Amino acid sequence: MIKTFNLTKIFSDKKRGEIKAVDGVSLECKPGRIFGLLGLNGAGKTTLMRILSTSLKPTSGTAKIDGYEILNQPEMVKKRIGFLSSDTGLYPRLTAFETVTYFARLNGMEKEAIRRRIDEIFEILDMNDYRDMKVDKLSTGMKQKVSIARTMVHDPQVLILDEPTLGLDVITSRNIIDFVKSSKQRSKIVLFSTHVMHEAEKLCDDIAIIHKGKILEVATLAEYRQKTNLDSLDDIFVKIVGE
Amino acid sequence: MDFKKTKIVYFKEMLDTLRDRRTIISMILVPILLFPVLMFGMSGLVVFFMEEAEKIPPRVVIVGKANAPSLTRKLSQEGEFKITYETNFRDAIRDKRAEAALSFSEDFENMIEAEDSAQATIYYDEAEVKSSMAVGKLRDYLSHYEDSMVTQRLKKRKVDRSLLQPVDIKEENVASQEKMGGFMLSMFLPYMIIILALIGAMYPAIDLTAGEKERGTLETILASPVSRGELATGKFLCVMTISMITAVLATCSMSITAGIGFAKMGPFTPEEVQISIKLTSILIILILLLPISALFSSLLLSVSLFAKSYKEAQSYITPFMFLLIMPAMITFMPGVELNWPLAFVPVINVSLAAKEVLLGTYNWGFIGLIFVSTVIYASFSIYVTKRLFEKEWILFRT
Repeated sequence: MIKTFNLTKIFSDKKRGEIKAVDGVSLECKPGRIFGLLGLNGAGKTTLMRILSTSLKPTSGTAKIDGYEILNQPEMVKKRIGFLSSDTGLYPRLTAFETVTYFARLNGMEKEAIRRRIDEIFEILDMNDYRDMKVDKLSTGMKQKVSIARTMVHDPQVLILDEPTLGLDVITSRNIIDFVKSSKQRSKIVLFSTHVMHEAEKLCDDIAIIHKGKILEVATLAEYRQKTNLDSLDDIFVKIVGE
Repeated sequence: MDFKKTKIVYFKEMLDTLRDRRTIISMILVPILLFPVLMFGMSGLVVFFMEEAEKIPPRVVIVGKANAPSLTRKLSQEGEFKITYETNFRDAIRDKRAEAALSFSEDFENMIEAEDSAQATIYYDEAEVKSSMAVGKLRDYLSHYEDSMVTQRLKKRKVDRSLLQPVDIKEENVASQEKMGGFMLSMFLPYMIIILALIGAMYPAIDLTAGEKERGTLETILASPVSRGELATGKFLCVMTISMITAVLATCSMSITAGIGFAKMGPFTPEEVQISIKLTSILIILILLLPISALFSSLLLSVSLFAKSYKEAQSYITPFMFLLIMPAMITFMPGVELNWPLAFVPVINVSLAAKEVLLGTYNWGFIGLIFVSTVIYASFSIYVTKRLFEKEWILFRT
């Protein structure tokens, strides 16, 4: 479970003064469900997810991931999450195999377990052809698969995916979408942020609309439709944000 | 801090860095090739051109040929100089039709015959290398001529030459051959090694910080179960390793090159200079280099961590490099010796200590003090680097 308690992050900017990037966010993501975080660019999605992945510290409030508190037990939290975003790059001079091994080792996995797990993942993702190729030489789609393999190598219970399909073509995006769906089936907790409405519409069980750092509403798509009398998420989003 | 994780980070960073062509060039190729190229290439070229220039007889304009007919005849017959006659010798030198001019006073030959003092004037252009060389040759020739005149005159009077030389001055260099070799090496070896330790650390330091930001891998690793401290330590140890490898290779290459090279260099003959650096000296220098390379590595990591991209990091580091290289140049200053206050100044202290050690002076008190003080500076700098890795406004600078 991901549970946040009044999470707030304030950045101070020389020109713009204090900016509340995340403003009192409290939410709950449950296993076996995909929790969508829907918001415009700059709404605070990335900041919120960086806080949950312990890369950033909240100004106030806290969160618990799979029972571990982000401020006091960041190492335990990091072992339980798989974090993937459009900004998470790969080491160009390492091979696909070396990359995944590195992250597996950092997660404390033993040699034999790593080998078995990598064999399994590379098989599932159909990556064996370029197992020993340097990341530099791989296509965008292949790189994306390496990233997915890197994210799931330690079989994390929680997946934090920050606009993972941003800038990818339809085919490459499908790798990610399939990965999200299969994670759901395996009862993982998936937090998925996007600004692409149809993606959220297709994938997410629960959708939180975030705007200017605040969560405006959390509901299922059906509930949104019922409440607003609108059908498409585009219209629903505009209505809620505009209110 | 988990040392196992630091080790994992270290080995991954080493693997990654050793696959970077830029690092390989600055870590292996530059230190190995720099010295032989400088010594054999550059000095070899200089020697070659000097020798070539020596072979061609300088063109000399004789002014007042009639004043010294026999000397002029001798000069043009012997072929050591190419003799020309022109009235305007200044133009000839300026327009490079001649390297020098030799003018005889009106009564030159008469004065010589009368056993009096005659006057000859050499005109030349000091801003021209060839002209200066010609003057040297002319001066030698004339003093030779003068010498033979003196001998003749003394012989005629049956006077022994020693009358003119009441004191026979002799000079002898008491420096051992090792010291002569060490003296030359001590001028530039510390400087070169310090620079190369710095240059060796530069690329990996940028690549492992700003380069990671640029490629987005910093974001990936920060969300992985490794603490900032472990990450900073692993990166630091990697940069320091590369810096030390560069310095060790440079030291070896330079010692070997110097051993072969000085013997072949123009003014120094193998009998005068023998380069044999004691192993103890090398070991002491390498031990002193450990903390200085740690200091460089952490400083470079800190500076480049601020940058958002590789290019930005390079522009931050350039002025910083000058700041670190300048103190290393102290070894070129004549008369600056290691003393208590200087032993506490980073970079300068190691440069001076390395210089002394190469000259065979082992001042253990200073060496210990310098090592300890540099370790303290490096530790402080490493602490700062680790703290910077914890600052999210630096890591996520946009």
